[in-house]
Amino acid sequence: MSGILKTVDLKKYFKVGRNRFLHAVDGVNIEIAEGATLGVVGESGCGKSTLGRLVLGLLSATSGETYYDGVNIYSCGREEMASCRRNMQIIFQDPYSSLNPRMSVYELISEPLVMNRACENRKERLARVVELMETVGLAQRFINSYPHEMDGGRRQRIGVARALALKPQFIVCDEPVSALDVSIQAQILNLLMDMQEEMKLTYMFITHDLSVVKHISNEIVVMYLGQCVERAESKELFKNPKHPYTQALLSAIPQPIPGRFQRDKLLRGEVSDPIDPEPGCRFAKRCRHSMPKCSTGPIKLKEGGNKHFVACLLYD
Amino acid sequence: MENQGFNQPKNGQDTARAVLELRGLEAVYETDDGIVRAVNGINFSIAERETIGLVGETGAGKTTTALSILRLLPERTGRIPSGQILYKGQDLLKKSEDEMRLIRGACISMIFQDPMTALNPILTVGDQILESLEVHNAENRTHGELESRVDELLSLVGISPGRKKEYPHQFSGGMKQRIVIAIALACEPLLLIADEPTTALDVTIQAQVLVLMDELRDKLGTSMIMITHDLGVVANTCDKVAIMYAGEIVEYGSVHDIFENGTHHPYTTGLFQAIPNMKEDVRRLHPIEGLMPDPSDLPSGCKFHPRCPKRFDECNDGRPYLYERGGHRIFCNLFREGFDS
Repeated sequence: MSGILKTVDLKKYFKVGRNRFLHAVDGVNIEIAEGATLGVVGESGCGKSTLGRLVLGLLSATSGETYYDGVNIYSCGREEMASCRRNMQIIFQDPYSSLNPRMSVYELISEPLVMNRACENRKERLARVVELMETVGLAQRFINSYPHEMDGGRRQRIGVARALALKPQFIVCDEPVSALDVSIQAQILNLLMDMQEEMKLTYMFITHDLSVVKHISNEIVVMYLGQCVERAESKELFKNPKHPYTQALLSAIPQPIPGRFQRDKLLRGEVSDPIDPEPGCRFAKRCRHSMPKCSTGPIKLKEGGNKHFVACLLYD
Repeated sequence: MENQGFNQPKNGQDTARAVLELRGLEAVYETDDGIVRAVNGINFSIAERETIGLVGETGAGKTTTALSILRLLPERTGRIPSGQILYKGQDLLKKSEDEMRLIRGACISMIFQDPMTALNPILTVGDQILESLEVHNAENRTHGELESRVDELLSLVGISPGRKKEYPHQFSGGMKQRIVIAIALACEPLLLIADEPTTALDVTIQAQVLVLMDELRDKLGTSMIMITHDLGVVANTCDKVAIMYAGEIVEYGSVHDIFENGTHHPYTTGLFQAIPNMKEDVRRLHPIEGLMPDPSDLPSGCKFHPRCPKRFDECNDGRPYLYERGGHRIFCNLFREGFDS
């Protein structure tokens, strides 16, 4: 399998003081096949958004490489980067703050077309904007509206239209539905899946909600404090979650079945400090199965069959 | 006659035990663009130690209901044209502002959605908890006694009292929400209104906060109104559920009526179908088509009929039929007797 996007031991450390570093992304290897969706799941502060920005080249990596279609995006020339950028897009989490309130829907959707001189003249540009609005299910009467006149679901459709404007191949969806109501959330998820089928898009889908990612992903990566702790095909992960962190994430989702939480399965504590973490498993402090050897050295992702990788000494 | 309203007490047996009872509550916002009808005649009551979930999408009128109970609607635009809010039998709408100040925080308190903005960034968390105790210090307790109560409250929500001199930015989101809960419970209110208390939190932290609220409710005997759009949260915390749509309660019942019983309002059915199901493998989700109506221009008849997959001519005007089976109430013409679909 050759992926359209591949990272090799990708690391991003932010300097937060004299000789102190925040390990936002710490040695992540992912690969996404063309037309597939990779779900990236984890709590706030686990580095999932940083990973999304790294693979797009919006942040520079501390070390490691990202290859897009075989091109190393950190060391390629400006022109190559520009052509990669056209093919890679991002949909942001919050449709309230990611759209310029002073731009009309037409201006918002045509902006990427103007920036990249994708259309020959105004008429062509207008036609393309109308076509995009139709694709994402926005009525044409909104073309001169401003974001504040629209609700969250419609705003997120503008975000999707902007991302699709240049006919990209790869889109990072950074929590695209977490600011939306359930019924609207389902509309946007269906839209993203339809777009994928029609245009053969490849997605990296970042979310903290496992139930959302289940429907849209082929493969899922679970991240904890900058590291990938488990990676498996979507069905396999839900059927057979191995890492204690993944198990805890799954049991924390409130199910629409009357009854109280199973308290014994709940996670204690919160995500610990990502600044200069101690060696060993970063989840050990909150883990029910932690053993002395968990904090001795780095724990590698190992395959336990079925393309199911887990970084946990329980499965050694 | 059959459709007088939702949950109208028939012989007053509900009122005796009820901590709070809403009767025909309406709330509107008078804006330059016209009157926004946010809440349109809702009725429900909460008994002691009971938790009721108000469920609905953005714009369903959940938060307006909560703000009306505390009389916190924006002064210039918000108005309550009709209805009664009975707290232990007394109508809160007839209270003066000074009387309301003594009720807010002491008898009824509220947890707001976003812990990041609910706390004052330039006061220590200890001082913010103390503030609520000082305002409602009816027993004239000394400063030292109040300070020790702050310590007690912090340990109650699982934060070390040693951190009370710290500022909100030094705490994580989950910890901030615990502090907001401590402030809300400081005076041991009889009723707690939680407005989307965990929406801004991660799932794992959400579970911790919900369990904490559950324990505190059992310990202190507080009644609770849980406002949320997450049916999972409702199933795990509530005794009764009211499904709201466009300012009305369209379905009301015990948590088992709503989550298990086969008869439902089409909107409730739609909400359930829209949540991604963890157990089954379906590729496509089933959203409810269309959008919530504009509250300044509500449709006639059943408010849900423009989006309803089962609508028929009768739904266009008049109040929908009230179906009622042992406390489970649905406002929908589908259940009219003799009606055959």
